[in-house]
Amino acid sequence: MLGLLIKDLFNTRKQAVWYVAMIILFSVLSVVMQNVAFCATLGILVTVSMPLTAVAYEEKDGWQKFIVASGMNMKVIVAEKYLLGLSFALLNSVAYSVVFSVIGAEGGAAEFISPICMQFIALAVVLPIIFKFGVEKGRVYMIALILILMVALIALMPFIGDALAGNQAVFISCVVCATVIMFVASFIISVRIYSKKEF
Amino acid sequence: MLSIKGLNKHYQNFSVENVTFDIPDGTVVGLIGENGAGKSTVIKCILGAVHPDGGEILLDGKSINRLSKSEKQKISFVFDDMGLPGELNLDMLGKVLSNVFERWNNEKFMQLVQKFGLPEKKVIKEFSKGMKMKAAIAVSLSYDSHILILDEPTGGLDPVVRDEILELIYDYNRQEKHAALISSHITSDLEKICDYIVYLHGGKVLFNEEKDELLGMYGIYCVNDRQLDELDKTAVVRVLRREYGTDILAIKQKMPRDFEFKPANLDDIMLFYSKGESVC
Repeated sequence: MLGLLIKDLFNTRKQAVWYVAMIILFSVLSVVMQNVAFCATLGILVTVSMPLTAVAYEEKDGWQKFIVASGMNMKVIVAEKYLLGLSFALLNSVAYSVVFSVIGAEGGAAEFISPICMQFIALAVVLPIIFKFGVEKGRVYMIALILILMVALIALMPFIGDALAGNQAVFISCVVCATVIMFVASFIISVRIYSKKEF
Repeated sequence: MLSIKGLNKHYQNFSVENVTFDIPDGTVVGLIGENGAGKSTVIKCILGAVHPDGGEILLDGKSINRLSKSEKQKISFVFDDMGLPGELNLDMLGKVLSNVFERWNNEKFMQLVQKFGLPEKKVIKEFSKGMKMKAAIAVSLSYDSHILILDEPTGGLDPVVRDEILELIYDYNRQEKHAALISSHITSDLEKICDYIVYLHGGKVLFNEEKDELLGMYGIYCVNDRQLDELDKTAVVRVLRREYGTDILAIKQKMPRDFEFKPANLDDIMLFYSKGESVC
């Protein structure tokens, strides 16, 4: 696992520096504009982009065949990509927390927790698609799926809002539980996909 | 010993069928065949990059699917597309692979890098094809494997680099119990170092023979139709009709002694088996 993580950090080091710079820039922008949305949106983008970039390099280099042939466990190979995404999600979450505490947004805990969870949900949705279809094809399916999810969310929002109005604790619990369930399910699906994949 | 027994893999337009051969300890086995004959598919099946539909692959009698990571790393490999991360230099690669291979020997890796004259600080994507292949071979020789599997290691390389690579494989094989499987359609390379030749054609093993025996067994004869009719049909392996006459690949021992022949090399044998007709 460590070798894979080091490889990805070495391989994507230019992009990683760029993403960290973006996190800092968007955090400053959020504080200046008094709007946490900048920082929150970037978090989702960076969390998804890092493993996506890493997989794109692997496909180009033929690394996936190499690492499978080296006898590395499939679960470890898959888990490393989740860990890579998570590490950037956590990095952005720290930045987001600082921005949130400086701005002091009105929405309270729900407004704080939702964008953080969205990073993990985005990662959970995107990675199985990328493992299944590869980066090039996966991008198309990924955009289509995200659009469907967004439309569904917007359509359901009034009902969810009504149901959870005035009850932040229930809302937060639901979001956190959904995130954890999606993340675990996503990992299991990804391992199955990767185990059946041929290179 | 690595044994491939009844290996099957089916694709929509192509199948590898009932492929069986061994790579005994201390030998070099050459896997030959035309492009698309199934050589890479067989190698990928051995290395776990492709899942076979049937048959089994055994390392020292144990199914390859049941091997631990440490046991699986007794097999080292070199793919034709190398598979090394392009944005890394060899120094970085050593650090990465020391966390991938349990018996990684970074000192040996760096010695090989220096021996091959590879730049340590240049990123791999900027290497020439020959340098990339040497880097991939340096990797494969740096984690104490017992079997080396190479898929088209000399394809697209100049004769000097090809010779250096063959020399390395030869050195590897001279160590106790080390075996190698090399797939290539540059048969002259295989003639230099192989002990056995497995010929794949259309996904099937056409022959699996000891190399010296194989090269000593066949001759190429130029005959006319009358001579062909009179010949012992069990002597004629394949007939290739050309504009200028008929060439046959025949078993020398069964042919009349007064017939002139040209010794057959692996290229000739491959050509006759793939393009020629059988008369039996």
